[in-house]
Amino acid sequence: MKTIPAPHGPDASAADLKNIDEVSLIELLEKVEQKHGFIPRDISDEVARLMEVKLERLRRIQGKLDSTIRRDVQQHVSHWRNEEGNLIMILHAIQNQHGYIPREVAMELSRELGVKLARIYEVITFYHYFKLVPPGAHSLTVCNGTACYLKGSGDLINEVRAQLGIAEGQTTADRQIHFDTVRCIGCCGMAPAMVVDGKTCGHVKTSDIPGQVAVLKAKKEKVA
Amino acid sequence: MKPLTRQDLAQFAAAPAADPAEWIRVQLDTGGIAAGAETVYAALEQARAAQPRPFTLLRTGSVGYSFADPVVEVQAAGMPRVHYGCLTPELAPRLLSEHFGAHRLLDDHVIATRRRGLKLDAPVTHLLVGDTGAAASSKTEFFQFSFQEELKRRGLADRVQVVRAFDMGIYDEGAVVQLLPSGVTYTNVLAPDVARIVTDSILGGRVLDDLLWKTPDKQVRIVLRHCGQVDPDSADDYLRRVSGYQALAKALFTLTPEQVIAELKVSALRGRGGAGFPTWMKWQLTRAQPARQRYVICNGDEGDPGAFMDRSVLESDPHTVLEGMMIAAYAMGASQGYFYIRAEYPKAVERIQRALDQARERGLLGKNILGSGFNFDAKIRLGAGAFVCGEETALIASIEGRRGSPSPRPPYPSVRGLWGMPTAINNVETLAIVPAILLQGGAWFASHGTDTSKGTKVFAVTGKVRNAQLVEVPMGTTLREIVFDVCGGVLDGKDIKAVQTGGPSGGVIPNPLLDTPVSYETLQQLGSIMGSGGMLVMDQSDSMVEVAKFYLRFCVDESCGKCAPCRIGGYQLLQVLDRISRGRGAASDIALIHRVCHAMQKASLCGLGQTAPNPVLSTLRYFGEEYQAFIEGGPSYARKAGKAAAAKPTGATTPPIPVPVPAKEASS
Repeated sequence: MKTIPAPHGPDASAADLKNIDEVSLIELLEKVEQKHGFIPRDISDEVARLMEVKLERLRRIQGKLDSTIRRDVQQHVSHWRNEEGNLIMILHAIQNQHGYIPREVAMELSRELGVKLARIYEVITFYHYFKLVPPGAHSLTVCNGTACYLKGSGDLINEVRAQLGIAEGQTTADRQIHFDTVRCIGCCGMAPAMVVDGKTCGHVKTSDIPGQVAVLKAKKEKVA
Repeated sequence: MKPLTRQDLAQFAAAPAADPAEWIRVQLDTGGIAAGAETVYAALEQARAAQPRPFTLLRTGSVGYSFADPVVEVQAAGMPRVHYGCLTPELAPRLLSEHFGAHRLLDDHVIATRRRGLKLDAPVTHLLVGDTGAAASSKTEFFQFSFQEELKRRGLADRVQVVRAFDMGIYDEGAVVQLLPSGVTYTNVLAPDVARIVTDSILGGRVLDDLLWKTPDKQVRIVLRHCGQVDPDSADDYLRRVSGYQALAKALFTLTPEQVIAELKVSALRGRGGAGFPTWMKWQLTRAQPARQRYVICNGDEGDPGAFMDRSVLESDPHTVLEGMMIAAYAMGASQGYFYIRAEYPKAVERIQRALDQARERGLLGKNILGSGFNFDAKIRLGAGAFVCGEETALIASIEGRRGSPSPRPPYPSVRGLWGMPTAINNVETLAIVPAILLQGGAWFASHGTDTSKGTKVFAVTGKVRNAQLVEVPMGTTLREIVFDVCGGVLDGKDIKAVQTGGPSGGVIPNPLLDTPVSYETLQQLGSIMGSGGMLVMDQSDSMVEVAKFYLRFCVDESCGKCAPCRIGGYQLLQVLDRISRGRGAASDIALIHRVCHAMQKASLCGLGQTAPNPVLSTLRYFGEEYQAFIEGGPSYARKAGKAAAAKPTGATTPPIPVPVPAKEASS
């Protein structure tokens, strides 16, 4: 992001304005107004034009997105078209694709299937497996099945909470690490177990948690 | 691919494919893969290039030794067949060079065979030693050394190898020695016995009767008969090597549907999902219902935390389950089947899907199967993480694409089920047993077990147990035998407090009652249920109030909210328990718990609500004094108990860190 250029006066050149985003543009206008008590015509015209250009671009992206969503949903639906009771399987396909079920996709699905959006949301919210918010880039899941519970998964959960500063089911503010607990991953032989980015670790100790979290955080920095 | 015919199957049965002479089977189920079985497989594959003798590297499911994952089974010429546990990729080259090259077993990784011999029918080549006493393995090295010295003295050192075992399968019997390949096992071996064993048994070929372990293995493998033996990804392996789909052929060509049901009636097989409804009756009722379409559903929605039997069977032996489903469909006249499997079991889903595809390719699914005129096809439906969907009416709702709310019964699904059609819902384990019954006869199956509960049952024994594993025992085996004789007792030699069966719908069974033989009825009398077969071992440090709270919270989270007794009752019960565990309970709370539990049991719509109070009631029944202690001790006692519990597991040394209260709990 470019820093807001100090307004040079009423005759700020258009070149200065070209690479500024919307927020800076509005701030610029406000500053000019504060300084002069009014906005010079040439500046306001130029700003309005730039806004229009940006808006147009946004609409185009939106349109493209809409058509992609429509195509995707149509693909999923056509695969299951002739099956009775296909809604859950289609939702699985959508979640596999996006990692969660975006509202726009659910709306498109409702149009495509001719099923009310409320019916779709009724199903999504009933099942734990379906998510309505995008998951973080990395995930850390502690198994809280009975075997793991008996072997101290509660302490693991507390430790992760303390390390990440979030509760289970939440994602860190930078949307990088998602922390969750799960009923049972079926690895009771190696309880307490934990899944870090799809890799299952068994016989986890509380002292292992800081290391695992550090690894995830390091991954995040690499991506950034 | 050309569809298979009756003749093809007869040919497979007449001339089953032989095992390759030398092979390694890597057990790749979810548990094994999580422990690194894939990397072991890759390392073995890589090391194979440098290995002069060709051997076949096979992928199989799990034999059930979860404590030893990743497990591989090795067969080499001139060597006893052994399981190796806890392998690492680094060990792979050594395994090949030692086992195939030098004919030596690896120390500390061998799992002793459970097929123990009573006769020395072959010259001893390897000697497994393991100390199974309380301070396990402390004397193992001593015995290894003594045997080696003794063998050296007799000039046998290069003929017999002494190997430290990873697990002997016998527990608390002192030093145990197993002579391979015959499997003769001596227990409570003392230092003076070493010379005797070498002279008499190894040189003389005589069995020492005073040391011999004669107790036969408690386990009988019917459901798990192919687990770890067949390649779950290969229909050919199943068809050619373990007489796969022979039971189906038998049903289609030599039995009428009525005869299939009659055979099941003889076997007295009862549903393995937990309730124990006779399977033949379920099929009969579905068959008797006039309809243009009937459905058969395999319930693989194993939501019970701490249980993994169904997952293991689906992953290790998918074709058997499919074959069982097809026989069920034939018996009740269904033409469409559904596998309802948890989405959390991607491996199971993948393998069942492959099994379906392969069966369809070979004409085992579809129209006119094997030329018999029988039509059947099956599909997978994924669960989406709702425990209540294990309940049959909720499961049907979920397959229909709705939220999984149960509906009142009757009408039962066998009358009006999936899309209003008669439907039979069978557990994975039940279906896996069916082909065995048809091949070996109902009477054979009924010869196992007790009067009212026939056959065997698979349990997933986990928790504070030394060897967490899958166990298949005949009904009527006592809990103590399962926990102590098969699984080695409690972890770290602690005292057992209770065993929990049946998951969130079951109850705890305290130590003094562990000698109860396992059957549907006995467990019910004790206030628990058989359930799907999860078995949790708890030691003295586990607080029963906390355990009850854990299970109840699970049920409260999973309640679908349709009926009030479950939705409100469960929540209120949890509040009361929470209050008690914080030391703020009142003496009247115990009576209140009983009242709420009673209401839930009587008035809830489905099994979830009716059985949710079970963990609370059974802990209250057997460990009432713990509740009393919390109530009388007040907050200070509760804090102390909490601290003791926090200091307990796996030597956590970090001081408790203030924890942000999660939103969910804050509101409750």
